[in-house]
Amino acid sequence: MTVLEVCDLEKSFGNRTVLDKLSFSVGKNAIYGLLGPNGAGKTTTINILCSLLDADAGSVSIGGDSVSERTRHRVGFVPQEICVYQDLTCRENVFFFARIYGLQGAAIADRTKELVEMFDLHEYEDTKVASLSGGWRRRVNIAVALVHSPSVLILDEPTAGLDIEARYDLWNLIRGFREGGVSVLLTTHQMEEAEQLCSCIGILQNGRIVAEGSLDTLRALVPAKQLAVIESDDEHAVRSRAESFGWESRHYGGRLILLLPERHVLHEVVHRFNGIPLSAISLQEVGLEHAYLEATAKG
Amino acid sequence: MKRYVGETTAVANRILIELIRMRRSLIFWVVFPTLMLLLFGLIYAGGGGTSKSFDATAPGILIGAALFFSCLGGPVALIVAERERRTLRRLLVSPLKPVSYFMGIVVAYMFIALGQTIIVYGIAHFFGGRFHGSILLGLVIIVLSVFSFVGAGFFFGARFTKRTEDVNGPVAAFGVPLLVLGGTFFPVSILPPYLLALAYLDPIFHMNEALKGVSALDKGPGDIVTHLIFLGAFTVLALFLGTRSYKSMLIQERKG
Repeated sequence: MTVLEVCDLEKSFGNRTVLDKLSFSVGKNAIYGLLGPNGAGKTTTINILCSLLDADAGSVSIGGDSVSERTRHRVGFVPQEICVYQDLTCRENVFFFARIYGLQGAAIADRTKELVEMFDLHEYEDTKVASLSGGWRRRVNIAVALVHSPSVLILDEPTAGLDIEARYDLWNLIRGFREGGVSVLLTTHQMEEAEQLCSCIGILQNGRIVAEGSLDTLRALVPAKQLAVIESDDEHAVRSRAESFGWESRHYGGRLILLLPERHVLHEVVHRFNGIPLSAISLQEVGLEHAYLEATAKG
Repeated sequence: MKRYVGETTAVANRILIELIRMRRSLIFWVVFPTLMLLLFGLIYAGGGGTSKSFDATAPGILIGAALFFSCLGGPVALIVAERERRTLRRLLVSPLKPVSYFMGIVVAYMFIALGQTIIVYGIAHFFGGRFHGSILLGLVIIVLSVFSFVGAGFFFGARFTKRTEDVNGPVAAFGVPLLVLGGTFFPVSILPPYLLALAYLDPIFHMNEALKGVSALDKGPGDIVTHLIFLGAFTVLALFLGTRSYKSMLIQERKG
């Protein structure tokens, strides 16, 4: 069942086209990752989904209804920055947003209790947000977006700037949202985050999806079973030798990478480059990072 | 209606909690009118009795040194803080109605104004000054004044200030001349006719004249009806500007 559907969305600012027939959908209880370089159109997409911005063409529906001010109750938005009141306690922040979203009386107290439980905020519920560490602030930042039990939660780079432990904690929380019946749209620059969390990933470039699917589907974009990362002063010789074996090569992030059509052990690959000076060589599995680079290079 | 009341009280409650926790603004909003009242009360008293002097200076000080800085400067700083903390973006994507947001600010600053009124008239009372007219009518004038100030503050905050450094600029550039023209520190009787005519467009002039009339001269509603009409008009304008400004903030936020 589709909860969020984006269809042929177009948006331009002056002569600059930001969204170019963008389409994707997020199913119930799914976590959809929207990846893309800066300027690809992620923020514009979020602004349209939150009804902050009108699209020039195309449609967005949430739960079957076109997005408008009336659908704001169905969307929870977690900005990248900590956008809660720092001088209020965690509980006061949740209370405030609960009232803004129309909860009343016992429903506010009940929802606050649920969120304190969900985000494990017991110890800090009466602590000012300004006194919390970055990880706990992030939790409050997300908690207030869930106060009205939205059907879609938009997370804009939810773990940016967090240490690894806090990041893992938040990942566990985000995985838990699915069990609570919330569909998640997540934007991130961290490939590992998308790999760990997302059931479906869309790669956005120049305002349109250039690749989409599960992690395995995207990995299949890279025509290789394994990758060899090579550093050499004579890259030309390396590439020529690789071509002679029928191996393609790429420059991913400035590094020379050979696409191996079959799996190999390291010494076999080293052996094939006898006579060429190599300063480093390693084998890697194909990851989302490589699929992303492959897709954006083609796109 | 219930929804608007709920949203308004939520916003007002939040602002008051923040102001109480931060304290610095509250302290300034008490210290400044207190010192100004003491100075002007004692200066105008000359060598004679202080009671008449404090009768006359308390209303002007309440409007110009207390409500002006809290109810006009406060909302400007509030809007800037919402922008800088990015909470504004969060509010704009919520179902919060512009009217509720504006009214929440008005209600919060009504409480601040009430506290300042008690302090200013408490000090004036200590020196023999009295509130001679109808307290109810005085409260109506103060409520209308708070509306006008908050509306103007909201407008300046939304339109002219993006960062904390911008807060003092519009308040000083537009506000202080209005204070002087409005007869806060000098009686308007010394104004030349063309400036007096201009003063009629200054809400502070009407606030001062209305409150002085009721407080010091025991005037009734009929005596200050012109000022009340102007203040009513400014209140309607404030409400209009407030909701319009919220929409302009939305447009700015869209641009990022």
